[in-house]
Amino acid sequence: MGAWRGLILVVAVLALAPLGLPPYMMTLLTEALILGLFAMSLDLMVGYTRLVSFGHAAAYGFGAYCSGWLLINTDLSLPSAVFVAAIASGVLAIGVAWVCTRSTGVSFSMLTLAFAQLLYAITFRWTSVTGGSDGLAGIPRRPGPFGLTALTSKTGFYFFVLGLLVAAFLLCRQLVNSPFGAVLRGIRENEAKTLALGYNTRAYKIAVVALSYALGGLAGALYAPFAGFANSELLFWLLSGQVLIMVIVGGAGTLIGPILGAAFFMFAQHQLSSYTESWAIYFGMLFIFFVLFVPRGIWGSVAARLRRPAADGR
Amino acid sequence: MQLGTLALLLTQTANVLSQTALLFFLGVGLTLIFGIMRVVNFAHGTIYMLGAYIGYSLARVTGSFWVALIVAPIIVGAVGVAFEAGILRRLYGRDGSAFLMVTFGLALILGDVVQIGWGASALRVAVPDLLSGVVLLLGEPFPDYRLFLAGFGVVMAIAIWQVLERTRFGLLIRATSQNPEMARALGTDVQLIRSGVFGVGCGLAALGGVLASPLVTASLGMAASMIIDAFVIVIIGGMGSFVGSLIGAFLVAFVQVFGNFYLPELAIAFIYLIMLLVLIVRPGGLLGKED
Repeated sequence: MGAWRGLILVVAVLALAPLGLPPYMMTLLTEALILGLFAMSLDLMVGYTRLVSFGHAAAYGFGAYCSGWLLINTDLSLPSAVFVAAIASGVLAIGVAWVCTRSTGVSFSMLTLAFAQLLYAITFRWTSVTGGSDGLAGIPRRPGPFGLTALTSKTGFYFFVLGLLVAAFLLCRQLVNSPFGAVLRGIRENEAKTLALGYNTRAYKIAVVALSYALGGLAGALYAPFAGFANSELLFWLLSGQVLIMVIVGGAGTLIGPILGAAFFMFAQHQLSSYTESWAIYFGMLFIFFVLFVPRGIWGSVAARLRRPAADGR
Repeated sequence: MQLGTLALLLTQTANVLSQTALLFFLGVGLTLIFGIMRVVNFAHGTIYMLGAYIGYSLARVTGSFWVALIVAPIIVGAVGVAFEAGILRRLYGRDGSAFLMVTFGLALILGDVVQIGWGASALRVAVPDLLSGVVLLLGEPFPDYRLFLAGFGVVMAIAIWQVLERTRFGLLIRATSQNPEMARALGTDVQLIRSGVFGVGCGLAALGGVLASPLVTASLGMAASMIIDAFVIVIIGGMGSFVGSLIGAFLVAFVQVFGNFYLPELAIAFIYLIMLLVLIVRPGGLLGKED
C-alpha cells in the first residue's frame, strides 16, 4: 500500500509541476521523462533478464525516425504516429532478438551493438527517407483525432508524456511481478536451470526484448515531436552507452531507479554544463564515484535502506 | 589501360595494408585487454586520440616525429597503468557494467583533458621528412609514408606475436588469459600482468594514434569513430584473439579502402553487415571462444 501512496504522490507532484516551474525547466523535465521511459525499457532487459544491450539506441532512434516520418509524410495524428512507431519498434525487435538471443554474454551485447550501428549507417545513406546526415527536421505535433489540440502545446505534450510513462511503468511493474517476470528472473539467475525446468527461455528472451524495444521505441517516438527533429545521433552507440549508464546509476532491476538515473543524468549534465565548460570531466568522475561507492545505484541503495526485514520480498 | 588497372589495384592493395597496420594497433590493444581482464575498454578510442595529441606536441617540441612515435605511447601507457592500478583493480569480480561505467567515465575525462589542453580545433602533424616523398608502383605514385606504415605494421605484428609466443611475459599473459585462478595459484603475480597488459594495450592504441596523425588531422571527433572501428575489429576477429585482431583489422581496412572506392554509399553499412554475419555464424568471432 505504501508503494501505491508513494506513486500517487510522485505523479501528483509531477502533474502540478507546470504550475510552479519556469518554461525552460518544463522542457528539461519533459526530456527527462522521455529519457526515463527509455531507460526503464532497457531495465527490463538489463535488470530483470541480464540481457545487457549495447545497442538500445536502435529502439530509440528507430522509434524517433518512424514517428517523425509519419508525422511529416502522413496525416496521422500525434498519438497514432507515436503508437504505430512503438509497435514498429517492437516488431523490428522480434527480428533483432531472434538473431541476438542465439548468443549470450558479451557476444549478445556486441550483436545488439552491431544492429544499432547498422541502422545508424543506413540512416546516413538512405537519404530519401531519413534525410541523411541532416536527419528529419520540422516534425510537427499534429492534434489528436477528437480535436485534442491540447497535445500540441508544451504543457499538453508534457502531460501526454507523463501519462504514457506512468502507464508504461504500471505495465512493467505488473509484468515483472507476474509469473512471466519470475521466469525472466530465473533466466537472469541461472538460464540453464530455467531451461531444465521446462521453460523455453529463448522465447521468453525474445518476448522481453520485443517489449523493451517497443517501449524504447515509444520513448524515441515521443522525442521526435518533442525536439522537432530526428537525426542519426539518436542511433549512435554513444546514446546506447549513456542509457546503459542511466540504468546502472539509477539502480538496475528496480524500474524506478532507471527513471531516476535518467533524470539525474539530464539535470547533472545541464547543471554542470551551465557552471563550467569542462563538465565532461566532472561527469566522468561522477561515473567512477558511483561505481566505487554506490554500486547498487541510487534507487537500489535507497530501497535497501528503506526496506524493513519483514517487508523483504516482493 | 590494362597496366593502369593493375597499377590501381596495386596501390589500393598497398593502401589496404597501411590501413590494416593502423587499425591493427588499435584493435590488438583492445583485444589483449579484453583477453586478460574481460574488460571492454570504452576509453580505447579516447586513448588513441590522446596518443595522437601527445604525439603532436612532442613532435613540435622536439622537432622529431620519431621521438614522438616512441615517447607518446610510453606516456599514454603509463596513464593506462595508473588507471588500472587506481581504479580497475578495485573492481575485479564485479560484473561488466562496472567496467563499462569507469571506462566510459575515463573516456569523458580524457576527452575533456584533450579539449582543454589542445583546444577544439583539429591539428595537423607533418609527415617526417624522410618519408615525405612518393614511390612509383607500376607508374602510379604512392606515398612513402603509407608504405612505411605497412612495413612497420608487419614488423610490429611479428614482434608482438613473438613476445606472446616466445617470452616468459607472453607465456604469463596467455596463462592469465586462459585461467587467472590457476595462474595465480602457480605463483604468477596476476595483478602485475593486468597492469602491464592494460598499459601495453593503451600504449599500442597511442602508437596507432601517433602513426595516424600525419594522415588524418588529430581532432576531437577521432575518439568516437575509432572506438567503434576498434570494436568491429575485435568482434569480427574474436575478443581476446591476437590473430583475430589482425584478420579483423585487414577485413575492415579492405572494406574501407575498396568499399570507399567502388561503393562509397554502402561501405559503412557493409562493415556492420560483415560483423553481424560473422557473429551469427560464429557468436564468439572468427577466432574467439564463445562466452
